[in-house]
Parts: sequence; structure tokens; C-alpha cells
Amino acid sequence: MPEEISPEVLAFATEIGSSGLVTVAGGRTQWTVGGSPLEGVREVTAPSGIWAYEPEEMTVRCGAGTTLQELSAALSKYGQMVPFDLSPSATVGGALAVGRSGYRRLRYGHIRDFVLQVRHIDHKGQVVSAGGPTVKNVSGYDLCRLMVGSLGKLGCLAEVTLRCLPIPQTSKWLTGRQDPFDVFAKLYRPSAILWDGDQVWVCLEGVSSDVEAQSDLLDLEETAVPPRLPDRGRMSLAPKALKTFDRPSGNWVAEVGVGVVHMEQPNADPAISNINLSLMRELENRLDPGGRFNPGRKVLSE
Amino acid sequence: MQKSLQDNLFSDLQTLLGERARDGDFELGLYGKDGSVLEGRPSIVCLPQSTSEVQEIVKICRRYDTPFLARGSGTGLAGGAVPIGEPVIIATAKMNKILEVDLDNRIAWVEPGVLNLDLSNELLPLGFHFAPDPSSQQVCSIGGNVANNSGGPHCLAYGVTSAHIAALEVVLPDGQIAQFGDLTADGAGYDLRGLFVGSEGTMGITTRIAVRLTQNPPEVRTLLLDFADVRDGAAAVSAIIAAGLIPAALEMMDKRAIEIVEAFVNAGYPTEADAVLLVELDGLPGGVEYGVELVRSVATRHHVGNVRVAADEKERALLWKGRKNAFGAVARIKPDYYLHDTVVPRGKLVEVLEKVYRIADAHDLIAINVFHAGDGNLHPILAFDSSEKGVLERVHAAGRAIVTASIEAGGVLSGEHGIGLEKRDYMGMLFSAHDMATQDLVREAFDPDGFANPLKVLPTGSRCSDSFGQHVPDGAWV
Amino acid sequence: MKKTPFDLAIPVEDISSCVSCGLCLPHCPTYRATQEESASPRGRIALMRQAQRDSSIDDAFVGFMDSCIQCRGCETACPAAVPFGSMMEKTREALATQTSYQPRWRRFGYSFLGKPRLLRLGSIGLAVLQRLRMVPRRLPLPKLPFVQKALIDSGSDVWLYTGCIMDAWMRETHLSAQRVIESTGAGVKFPLKGASCCGALHVHAGLAPEARALAKKTMASFPGEAPILVDSAGCGAQLKAYGELVGTEEAEVFSRRVMDVHEWLAERLEQLPTTQEPRPKVVVQDPCHLRHVQKAHESVHQVLEQYVDLIHLNDDGLCCGAGGAYATFHPEVAKEVRERKLSLIRSVEAEEVASANPGCLLHLQAGGVRVRHPLEIIDGLLTRES
Ligand SMILES: Cc1cc2nc3c(=O)[nH]c(=O)nc-3n(C[C@H](O)[C@H](O)[C@H](O)COP(=O)(O)OP(=O)(O)OC[C@H]3O[C@@H](n4cnc5c(N)ncnc54)[C@H](O)[C@@H]3O)c2cc1C
Ligand code: SF4
Ligand code: SF4
Repeated sequence: MPEEISPEVLAFATEIGSSGLVTVAGGRTQWTVGGSPLEGVREVTAPSGIWAYEPEEMTVRCGAGTTLQELSAALSKYGQMVPFDLSPSATVGGALAVGRSGYRRLRYGHIRDFVLQVRHIDHKGQVVSAGGPTVKNVSGYDLCRLMVGSLGKLGCLAEVTLRCLPIPQTSKWLTGRQDPFDVFAKLYRPSAILWDGDQVWVCLEGVSSDVEAQSDLLDLEETAVPPRLPDRGRMSLAPKALKTFDRPSGNWVAEVGVGVVHMEQPNADPAISNINLSLMRELENRLDPGGRFNPGRKVLSE
Repeated sequence: MQKSLQDNLFSDLQTLLGERARDGDFELGLYGKDGSVLEGRPSIVCLPQSTSEVQEIVKICRRYDTPFLARGSGTGLAGGAVPIGEPVIIATAKMNKILEVDLDNRIAWVEPGVLNLDLSNELLPLGFHFAPDPSSQQVCSIGGNVANNSGGPHCLAYGVTSAHIAALEVVLPDGQIAQFGDLTADGAGYDLRGLFVGSEGTMGITTRIAVRLTQNPPEVRTLLLDFADVRDGAAAVSAIIAAGLIPAALEMMDKRAIEIVEAFVNAGYPTEADAVLLVELDGLPGGVEYGVELVRSVATRHHVGNVRVAADEKERALLWKGRKNAFGAVARIKPDYYLHDTVVPRGKLVEVLEKVYRIADAHDLIAINVFHAGDGNLHPILAFDSSEKGVLERVHAAGRAIVTASIEAGGVLSGEHGIGLEKRDYMGMLFSAHDMATQDLVREAFDPDGFANPLKVLPTGSRCSDSFGQHVPDGAWV
Repeated sequence: MKKTPFDLAIPVEDISSCVSCGLCLPHCPTYRATQEESASPRGRIALMRQAQRDSSIDDAFVGFMDSCIQCRGCETACPAAVPFGSMMEKTREALATQTSYQPRWRRFGYSFLGKPRLLRLGSIGLAVLQRLRMVPRRLPLPKLPFVQKALIDSGSDVWLYTGCIMDAWMRETHLSAQRVIESTGAGVKFPLKGASCCGALHVHAGLAPEARALAKKTMASFPGEAPILVDSAGCGAQLKAYGELVGTEEAEVFSRRVMDVHEWLAERLEQLPTTQEPRPKVVVQDPCHLRHVQKAHESVHQVLEQYVDLIHLNDDGLCCGAGGAYATFHPEVAKEVRERKLSLIRSVEAEEVASANPGCLLHLQAGGVRVRHPLEIIDGLLTRES
């Protein structure tokens, strides 16, 4: 007796159907990641709305088309959040399909770790549920993790259940000139350390006495806002590699301790080993044998 | 298996491993069981010491068309490491080296046989630890943690194993070696790493693991709260979380559990209480202080009896010792136990707990509850004596009823022990046939012929490729 | 492998009490050394179960049982209270009576322990060879004396048990113990003639009848009601178990009189003299038979802490590999087990190691660290001052 599927999701499944090329449009905030879909592909939008939110459970179920703005408005009423840190007009489904975490990943971890349950529509136009609605679950294969970052190539996200966190009591940005790696070594679980090769920005969160005590360890000034993150290119390194990497031309901001570099300069996708590539192709071929989903857009470059 | 074939297979493995390939009658018996009540029998046991040996074993098995099965410390509770269909067991226990601690990247590369607590002990002087801390952490292997996506008390705040694995080296079911994930932030392509974690050995064998290191908290406070009514305790759990606090751990024990555990550790658990909560807060001092006060005031609103704050590290360790040894201590009242593992929404804890007691009563069994209340992860223990006639049928019937009750309350089949052999036939309670067929498609991408840990996770009907065709033999349920 | 019939009678409630949770594995020295299920407590129990069910065994089974050090670290770790020690003793006894597990020459060796005069003669012989450098240094032998100091009674408040090999090889320890006991104002009496070996090694080897005979002799040499203090953890554990071994009321009463000497001293801390001597840094090794069997290791800590800065090892009292006669018959495993302990000892800063069991002491010493009995360390500090 698996859980009942909501009518919105069923309607979405019908809309997608069992044939024809399809792409799901979210907030178009990261539309070009992986390339644009082919001309003339049918564009659909995932259902939206907060369908179940239980603040005491700290879980929220919503349509994949729900915008982050809508989501955070609902959650913040109860002092909760999901730390996506992306454009408010992005959709939950879009954010997960692209699978790029926000700048507070250093503290809160990858956004994929907030996903508890996913319902997607498969190439046959049928609903597939994976994961479970509770905060902890190891029932069956972890398709939720697979769906995050899949750019909608394996199925169309229809509904997701996410784990929420309490909004920290105090949140504070500091900035100045200090060795970012030194800053990283000094702090206990900071929320973010950003660095543009010259200036460093630090986000501290928690109860105010802790935030004060942690900022006293640093030689930085308080600031109102984080820096703007360049968004035309994105490089992903090991945290340690930031110490010695070839600095890109143009503006860039790196997430210290994480390894992401946000750049003006577009860049090539990282290489994938042949073995992994063939496994990934197997997955694509099995889950979307007709190549219906998001043609033109690629997770795997040739 | 045919005798001569088996002999040839063994002699090939022996050529590779020398005396680390075993087929002695007594020894095979030892590897037929894990921490569950299920039992099978392998055809051969291999004790490799390196990735390349694992790779060669897999290749040899493939040559003889024989399935294989990875085994860590054999503490799994869902029968994941129980050999069905006479597979070759590949035990990773001898692959137990911590290969590299890389503080700049905040990871450590370890072999799969490294014991969870050994790793954290090794990291202690450096100020770090590996966050997942199953109650079996002194003995379970990191490879087993990865395969089962294990959790522990502290996963409430820190997340389960999946969130703490950066990369894996894997010997695939066809004998190739791959690396899933890497030390970079995003990785490339689909998240094979995330898919492998929790796949219970059915997608290959991990031979090297990059685990993420978590900073040791500067301040830790452990509280023991007792309640005269288990309902108040359960309500306090929800209220603590609803107040915006995520404790590092939030564990609950019912009356019977308290009594049994106290007899073992003498930690001063209040045996007259109906339930206790073990709450741990960690982090920076201000947050911890704030948390302690919040827990105190919430608990007071829910009629807490005593609030005991561990005075020092020794007392803290003692309080935890009781919790972490609770399952085994059950054997003091009955020789056998069957431990279930389901998750329900926190708000349904009381309701489901009461159902659990009723179900146990109806089946004339004793139920003991000690569990990760903070994430609604129930661990009802059914204690019994297998020498009693007909008791096993009652245990299984009660178990099924408990799982059903949990799912009806909006819960799931397993919070951390996995599906393994024990719950594969329950999968249909949570997933539709189509859901399971999709999961099987994914598994098949890794192991189209079903060589790796056959007959686990998915029920027989849902797989297209059960080349070893058997149903779970009745004898497995001992 | 050839199977032979075997009759093993372990009570069902004991053998079925193991739930195979594995929590004991990391606390088992032989599992730690080998990572093999067959060398683990859980594995050995499963093997016993299988042997009992099939009523037959093979050579592999004998090997798996024989490789157990009988340290009983698994008992402390086991939340289910599995009585592993007694199960293993029953298995060894069945092996000794039904198979050639204890060949003649070994039985002959064990019988030596009950004969103090012969033991003494043998030790003098060894002492000669030692001086001629004909005994390999790596063997766990202390520097053996040619002439022994006499043991002289100083009162009758307490008995001090002397034992077999320990008395022949390490009488100085008894003398130190005597002086520390006397420093609290008590008078010490040594056993009457006839006391000899406690029988622990015999029990471990499965030679229970021999052990019982020794027990009877031993009990007869401690008349009266005075407490019987023991400065060897292994002997103490055995003397405390005479009740079960012999099974008489008299033996029960005797066992209740037995105390580890540190247990007795820990009750009299304020009577112990103080000293101005600087406090040395000492790392304490808890002998298994003190920690896991007698559960009295903390009394050693309490007594030592009066005089030294104590360092503890973070290994939950994992066995050092000595195990009575174990190191003699299984030198490789014993050495590997010891290596783990030694590397921990070397990782802390201490001047020496304190061990309250002569077997562990000699075994560790042979590994190249300085080890003394806790009471020798204390005696040294007290006499240096006076
Ligand atoms: C007393 C007790 C308490 C427990 N408490 C908890 C708890 O709090 N939380 C929790 O989550 N679990 C708990 N468990 C269950 C168990 O300890 C965990 O599932 C643990 O992670 C299993 O590790 P293991 O090394 O024993 O694996 P095993 O039992 O040996 O194997 C488990 C599964 O992993 C696979 N596997 C093992 N190694 C590899 C590898 N290298 N590559 C691929 N697959 C592999 C096996 O095939 C099998 O399917 C408890 C168990 C006991 C006995
Ligand atoms: S007595 Fe010691 S060596 Fe023997 S099984 Fe127990 S822990 Fe292992
Ligand atoms: S002896 Fe005790 S600790 Fe060891 S497996 Fe059995 S029940 Fe568990």
C-alpha cells in the first residue's frame, strides 16, 4: 500500500505522456547549464505549491515547480529554512536538477542531502517514487541522490520532500584582508568563507555570543552583504587545490573549504573516466531509452 | 555447485590468496551469519588484503559463474551479509588500514575494513572525527557503513553516512575498478557515489573510501531526562525540535530498556521512570548553553522528573555506554531478539509506540524500545526464546504488523539497517511495482547478471535478472 | 578434514546467550591480531555451538579453540553477559579428556608447577644457563637468582599468597608486597608448607582434575580466617574461583577470603605512608585477570596514584598477549598482540610500566620496555626515602 500520489503529480504525468521530446522549465535561472534544449522540444512546467508542511517534523513536501521564494516564505513563518542560497525565482526542482549548492555549503552540506523523497515522471509517463517522507530512510536504492544533478535527463521531477533547518538566531558577514586558509583553520563550522584572491568574506551563524566570540578570532570588519558571485563559469576543485590553483582571468570568488570557484569566464566540464562514462550511459539508456528528456542538454559531454 | 567446479574455483582462489582462501567446514559456518537472525552458507571464504586481490577474486568468480558477497564486520541487522545461494564471501576485515589523513581537504582515505570507532579514535588528537556513529561503532566497518548508509545517534544533527562520503574506489561486479566521486566540490556527471552508498553490496565492492572529517565540537553536554509517562517523553521530543533546536543526539528508552541497561552498566539510569531521553548538545559554548536551557524548559512543560546533566567526560561516557549496549543487553532477559528498524514522523511516535506494545502483547512477546527519537527512528526489540515452540512464527507476524503500523503512520521500512534479506519482501509495502522495477533498472546498470550479493534488497518478482533464481530458502529464517 | 566424535556439554542457556552482535570483536586480542572470525569470541562460540550440534570436531576446531588467550576481555565487552570463560574452560576440558589436545609432555610440564622443590631446582639450572648466555634474551625470563632470600612471617593479620613460578623467579616482588603491607601496620604471614601452584594454568589447559587437586592442597595451607592477599592477578582470579572449581562450601568460604593485594590496600589508603619523593610518570597496564575477571583493576590505580602520576592506556584493557602459558605455546600471535600494546605504551611519555601480574610483566619486559610490579615501584619510592 504505497502512499497515494497527489492529483497534481498525476496530471503532470499525463501532460508528459509516453512519447515525444520534453523539457521541464523551472525559473530559467540556470537554464544554460549543460547546454540549451533543442529547438521545438515541448516545454512543460512542473506543478507548484507547498503540499504538506509540518514544522514540528521539519519536513516540507512541495511541487517541483515551487519557487524558492515561495518555499522560504512558507518556511520562515515558522523560523525554518532550506539553505539553497540561489535566486529566489529558481524552482526547487530546477535547483535540484542542476544540483549546485549555495555558498553556505561549508556548514550545511550539499543540497542533495536535504532531499528525502522524490517523485519523478519517467519516460513511460509513469510516476516513480523514491526515498521516503521521513527525515531518515534507507529503504531501497537511493534514486534521490541520483536525481540531484541529473539535469532532468533521467526523468522529470514532479514532487520533492525536503528536510528543513531552524533559521540561525544570528547571522553575520565579516570582510577584510586575511589569509582565507588561516581563517578556515581558526573557526568552528563557519557557514561560508568566500575569497576573491584579495578580499575574504566570512559568514558566521549561531547564537550571538558564539558569533561574537568567533568573530573576535578574526581580523575582519562587519559588512552587510556577501559579494556578488560571478555566474558565467564555475570550477570545482578539491578544497586544498585553492591554495595553488591557476587563477582564472576576470573576477572570481572561491568557496574556501569547499572548492567551488565562481567565475566570469565560462569553462569546460571536468572529464569523466571511461568506466564511469559507460555506467552513466547505461543509466541514461535504461531510464530514458528513447532519449525523450531534455535533448540537447548534456550531463555527459562527448 | 558441482563438486569438481567448486574444487577448481577453490584451487584458483587458493593460488591467488594462499591460506587466505578457506573452505573448511567449521569456518564456512562462521561466515553464514551476521548480526541478524538469518543464516545461510557460503561456498568459500576469501580474506583479501588489497584492491587488486578483490578484483582478482571477482574475476575468478565470474569465470566460474559464481556469485559473490562482500562482508565487513558482520554486524548488519537485515541479513545483508548473509550468503544465499552459496556465494563466495569476500571479507574485508583484513583491509583495515587508514591510508591517509588529509586535513587540508578534511578527508581521510581508508580501507573498507577499518572499524568506525578506530577511525574516530585515531582522529581524536587531530580534533576531528567521522560523524556517523552507529551503536555498533566499536565493531562495524566503514565499508559496511557505506553499504548500508548507516546512521547513529549523532546523525540527527550531522546527517547519515551518505553525507560524509566524498569518494569511493569500487570493484564493479564485472571486475573493473572505478572511482565514484572525488575530492572536488561537485564531481562530474551523475552521482554514482550517492547511488552506491546504501546499495548493500549489490553494485560492487568498495575497496577504498574517502570519508569526510567533522570538527570535534569545542563543547559537549549530555542530559538525561526522565519521565513518569512515556507519552510525555515522546511529546517532549517533538517539542524540542519544534522549538528550533537540533540536538546532536536525541535518544529515547522505555521502561524495560532502562531496567535492562541499568543492570548492565550501572550508570544510575532511573529504573522507576517510564521513559528517559538522552539528549546531547554540542558546538560552541553559547549555543550549547542556550540549548541546555531550552531543553530544560521544554521538558519542564512536559512534566519531566529529573534533569541530570553529566558532570564530566566519564559520566557522559557512562550514559552513552548504556545506550550503545542496549541491544545486546536484551539477551539478559531472553536468549534471542529480533530488532526492527522503522521510521515514523516524530509526531506519531506515541501512537506507534502504543501500537507496538499492543502488537507484542497480542503475540505474547516482550517489546523493548530504545531508539533514535529525534528522527523518529524506532527500534522495537522483540525478545524471545527460540527454543519455545512456534515462537518464530509469532515473531515474524509481530514484526510484519509493526512494519505495517509504521508505514500506515506515514513512515518507512528502514531508517538505517537497510533492507537486505530481511525486508526485501516488505518493499512492496512502501513502493509500487513500477517503483521497484525502476530501482532494479538502476541496479542492473551496475550488475546486469546479478552476481553481486544476489537476492538482496529487491523482492524476487521485481527483478528481471535473478540468474541465481532461488527464493529465500525457508531455512534462512532461523 | 577428518571429523572425530566429540561430546561437548555446555548448558543451552549459556551457549544460546550469544546474539552474535559482534560487540566483543574489537576487545578480543586474537581477533585484533588476525581479523578472523574464527579467532573471535563470537566465532568461537559459534564453533562450540556447531560442535555441540554435530557432536564432532576436526583439527581446525581444535586450533581455533587453542588460539584463545582466555583473557576474557570479551566478557567485559559483552552486553549479553555471555559466560565465555566458563564455556571455553568446558571446551578445553572436553578436548583434554577426549582428544590428544594435551599430549603427555605438556601434562608433564604442567605437573611441574605443583612441585615447588623441582621448580626451584629447574630455576637454578636456568639461572646457570642464563649466566652462560645460553638462554635467548627474547624469552620472557627475568634475571633468575641463584640463592633466594627467605620469606619471614611478621604477624598474622593477613596471608600473602606466594604461588609457583612467581615464587621461584620473582620472590623480590613478594618481599616488596610484604613491606608495603607492613607499612600500613599489618603483620604478614606466608603460607604453610604444601601451598604451591593455584592451578590457573591447568584450568586454562583443560586439566581441571589436576587443578582441583592443587586447589585442595592450597586451601589447606591457609588455615584460619585472615584475608589471603595475592600479588599476582592470574593467581588471584583462580583462587577466587575455587568455589566453582571445587564446588564445596569450604572452597566457597576460602574464595571469599581472597583479595588482590591492591584491593586490600585501596581500603587502607590513609594508612599508607607518604613520601617526599618526586612522583614518577608511570603507565599502568591492567592485567586481564584483574580487569576482566576480578574487576579489581581500579584498586591498583588508586594505590599507585598515591605515589605516581598515572597514565592510562586508551584500549579498554585489551590483553597484552601473555596469557599464562599462551606466549610459550603461541609465540607469534602473542608477539603480535603485544606489539599493539607496546606501540600504545611507546606513544605516551612514561618512565616505566606498572603491571600487577607477573606473566604480563615478563611478557612486556621481553618486548623491551621497563616494567615493574606496582608494589615494587611503591616499595622503591618508600625505601629510597628512608
Ligand atoms: C548492537 C548493534 C547495534 C547497531 N546499531 C546500529 C545503528 O545505530 N545504526 C545503524 O545504522 N546500524 C546499526 N547496526 C547495524 C550495523 O552495525 C550497520 O549496518 C553496519 O554499518 C554494518 O557494518 P558491517 O561492517 O558489520 O557490515 P556487514 O554486516 O558485514 O555488511 C553489511 C552490508 O554491507 C555490505 N558490505 C560490507 N562491506 C562492503 C564493501 N566493502 N563494499 C560493498 N558492500 C559491503 C554487505 O554485503 C552487506 O550487505 C547495529 C548492529 C548491532 C549488532
Ligand atoms: S578470552 Fe580473550 S582471546 Fe579468548 S575469545 Fe575472549 S577476548 Fe578473545
Ligand atoms: S559474545 Fe556477547 S558481545 Fe560477543 S557476539 Fe556474543 S552477545 Fe555479542
